[in-house]
Amino acid sequence: MGLFKTAEKMGFQWLKIINKDPRLDGMDDLSGMEIPLHYIFKLASHAIHLVVFYERSGNYLWHGPLRLKQHMDRKFVPFQKLHFGRYPGAYEKPELLHVSIDDLRVQIPKNPSSFLEEMSHSRFLECRYREARAFFQLYPDDASLDAVEFRIKAKSLLHSAALTLNNLGVKFWLSSGTCLGWYRQCNVIPHSKDVDLGIFIRDYKAEIIPAFQKAGLPLKHKFGKVEDSLELSFQGEEDVKLDIFFFYEEEDHIWNGGTQAKSGKKFKYFFPKFTLCWTEFVELKVHVPCETLQYVEANYGPDWNIPVKAWDWKSSPSNVQDNGVWPVSEWDDVIQIY
Amino acid sequence: MEEWKPNPAVKPHKKRSWYLAWKYKLMNQRALRKLCQTGAVLFLLVTVIVNIKLILDTRRAAYEEEEESAQDYDDEVLNVEVPRHPVNNKKVLDVEVYSSRSKVYVAVDGTTVLEDEAREQGRGIHVIVLNQATGHVMAKRVFDTYSPHEDEAMVLFLNMVARGRILIFTIKDEGSFHLKDTAKSVLKSLGSQVAPFLSWRDMWTFVGKKGGEVYGEKHAKSPALSTWGDPVLLKTEVHLTSVEDAECHWPDTELNRRRKRFCSKVEGYGSVCSCKDPTPIEFNPDPLKDNKVFDVPVAVIAGNRPNYLYRMLRSLLSAQGVNPQMITVFIDGYYEEPMDVVELFGLSGIQHTPISIKNARVSQHYKASLTATFNLFPVSETAAAQGGLLNSFLSFLSQSIHLLEEDESLYCISAWNDQGYEHTAEDPSLLYRVETMPGLGWVLRKSLYKDELEPKWPTPEKLWDWDMWMRMPEQRKGRECIIPDISRSYHFGIVGLNMNGYFHEAYFKKHKFNTVPNVQLKNVESLRKDAYETEIHRLLGEAEVLDHSKNPCEDSFVPDTEGKVYVMFIRMEQEADFTTWTQLAKCLHIWDLDVRGNHKGLWRLFRKKNHFLVVGVPASPYSSKKPSSVTPIYMEPPAKEEGAVAVPAVAAAEQT
Repeated sequence: MGLFKTAEKMGFQWLKIINKDPRLDGMDDLSGMEIPLHYIFKLASHAIHLVVFYERSGNYLWHGPLRLKQHMDRKFVPFQKLHFGRYPGAYEKPELLHVSIDDLRVQIPKNPSSFLEEMSHSRFLECRYREARAFFQLYPDDASLDAVEFRIKAKSLLHSAALTLNNLGVKFWLSSGTCLGWYRQCNVIPHSKDVDLGIFIRDYKAEIIPAFQKAGLPLKHKFGKVEDSLELSFQGEEDVKLDIFFFYEEEDHIWNGGTQAKSGKKFKYFFPKFTLCWTEFVELKVHVPCETLQYVEANYGPDWNIPVKAWDWKSSPSNVQDNGVWPVSEWDDVIQIY
Repeated sequence: MEEWKPNPAVKPHKKRSWYLAWKYKLMNQRALRKLCQTGAVLFLLVTVIVNIKLILDTRRAAYEEEEESAQDYDDEVLNVEVPRHPVNNKKVLDVEVYSSRSKVYVAVDGTTVLEDEAREQGRGIHVIVLNQATGHVMAKRVFDTYSPHEDEAMVLFLNMVARGRILIFTIKDEGSFHLKDTAKSVLKSLGSQVAPFLSWRDMWTFVGKKGGEVYGEKHAKSPALSTWGDPVLLKTEVHLTSVEDAECHWPDTELNRRRKRFCSKVEGYGSVCSCKDPTPIEFNPDPLKDNKVFDVPVAVIAGNRPNYLYRMLRSLLSAQGVNPQMITVFIDGYYEEPMDVVELFGLSGIQHTPISIKNARVSQHYKASLTATFNLFPVSETAAAQGGLLNSFLSFLSQSIHLLEEDESLYCISAWNDQGYEHTAEDPSLLYRVETMPGLGWVLRKSLYKDELEPKWPTPEKLWDWDMWMRMPEQRKGRECIIPDISRSYHFGIVGLNMNGYFHEAYFKKHKFNTVPNVQLKNVESLRKDAYETEIHRLLGEAEVLDHSKNPCEDSFVPDTEGKVYVMFIRMEQEADFTTWTQLAKCLHIWDLDVRGNHKGLWRLFRKKNHFLVVGVPASPYSSKKPSSVTPIYMEPPAKEEGAVAVPAVAAAEQT
């Protein structure tokens, strides 16, 4: 190609990193088309790192990790110092601006600080397609009309929720059954009843409830309070609901609360500390805990890979603990059902 | 009773095994014991170290995603040349060719490159083309010259093979019955002495170089009409030439490098591999003004028909407004030759492991292709090409695609008119709304596929035709497709999952295709839901009611005018009553295997260059236009169907 010949003529040495196209990974047995992920051009002690971004379903840009193949020169450039490539990354599609720098016409993101800000939390996790296929070998997927319908509704609900929360600037991630579905089978679990999301309590905004209302998702119930065990539930179309769990961070663990409406009993669900990574789920760019296995195991125990059709949120999770009872005087505040 | 008394003279019998004796002897020597123990411990240590090293190595390799063999990251060398068959560094090939009634085989240097002993198939002349420098198989064909016209196909093929190639011929069962003189003389010109005299049930093998020497020929005449000739086995040697002699010397450009890779690997593509003036493989079609389809991904659905794919890609790449970057060819199976064709044109190809069988296999291939296309191009529409696309396909699409984006009542846009035959289609600028979905050359909205169809797509064990499934009311949900009066895509030919010669003749041969470039589509906005109703009412108002006492099947039913609009009313008791329509379609020689082309009980076509409207009464809402004096025509199916084609479930033909 012209670019490489010209670069060579100018004295550059260059390196190309290619790998399988992850957009085809989710599909059974398509011949891998390898795509270029990174190029490094070196001249004397300068290096230009060309990161190749691909647009993916879910309206975001993705770049791949930089992994050297066996025969490549590990000393070609100080790879550890490169800003991109330690992990695959996901970014919002930036609007680009044409500028002139040193008489060179280049394009830069219209909002450079916002793009740069994304870098520190851009890490992307690919869905575990191979393991999902293995899972479906053992537990064939439910192809009934009900399952298909539920999946369609859940996807639509998730898209609405994501849109609403993104507009508010509230960070959220896939939690509980929805997270398990992503981790275990790269899809919505057909027998799960609702869509579960997690939000850190420090990110809570009072505008959340009216925003969902405006988006056509009225509040169904509100348990707990901002200071303790907050939980919101919104009504989606037909009988699919959206459960939002608020997570409280402690020194060495994270927890979220649950409330049983009729008895006022409180429950606490414990998780080891986790950070958030991006992934793609039902054509949406969403967060999941980076340490997903730990998270899933905390919630579902070591047998998370075995589907359980009858799940009782009060007793089935492995990490649930009784947390006392709400004082009756507070019931009006902490148990609100519409 | 006697008493037994011990004999004091005899020593006590110590019966001890040799092994035990040896063991006790050893155990009593401490030094030896110590040595053995140390030895055992050392051995254990060594094993543990080796295992640890192995684990570390494997982990490191897994972390770095170890590749197979050294991959040169030089951009120029894209494909490691993998020879199809083991190549010796010999200068001579040993060729064996066998011909008999029930079995043929060809072996090159001990490797069988052709073997056919299946019953009831593979009859005729088998032809293999070898590369004269490497001995690789470049093409394999079989021409059933027992049947008519196959010899013509063979002549066409042989004429396209480059000079210098090694040709191998062998007959299975019978290959002379329809081997006409033209073919015989072509074979003679290749050096065959026997071909002009080949006759009934003779066995024959021949190896020769095109335009060069003969390497061997063997023949066995059939002694009597009821018997076959004896099997013949020809063993001969073929001298290989140098690689330079086997290749053309085109100027060194990127295009020619692709051409060289292709032409050294496959044969039978004619002038694209000619040394002088090879057919171009890059096209610079005129750009389309205001091109709305430049960013629409095109999925080409292909099977193992590389020659058809070649013609199809040529026509697609010459289409006005095409953007080769948006084209992906999906091949149903890991076939090399179609992939070679894709690479020749510099396009991307994806091979798909076939899942399931028969029509379910086709349906899974479509699903994989559509999902992959939308994954690779997360944009709004995709055009799926199957069969051929005419030059005017993209122009047609560019002018109509905005309707798909804006009108929710539309299911698809297709370039194929099921009822568009030579005698029933006239106007290249005319569009219709129809309730059926033609399976050739269509465009789908991404949201339709991702949100509605993909989640419900039939699973691999369901033996359904994908397009029949798409036409079902549960999927279509009352939406319609836009089609042109004159098709902009064509259907490929005879062999395929749902095809046979008769079917092709009857339903596809006389289809009308658009050859006029740059057609401006008329009145595109009138294809929107409500606007279309206005247009229909206008047409019906203008239409002259024909004389319903005459027989609609006769030519005289329509007056000898041109450019007028006529309307006829047929009986249609309820929405699904197509009794009369089917009979009418049959006698007009248009598609009658199922009901296509209707819009609310109305069909539109042309007869004798007049626009001809057919309204089903009383089911169609347009029945109100019928004058009270007119009785809708009723046609009953005859008691016994003559010449009925026993084709149970029919879909638009597939290219598999």
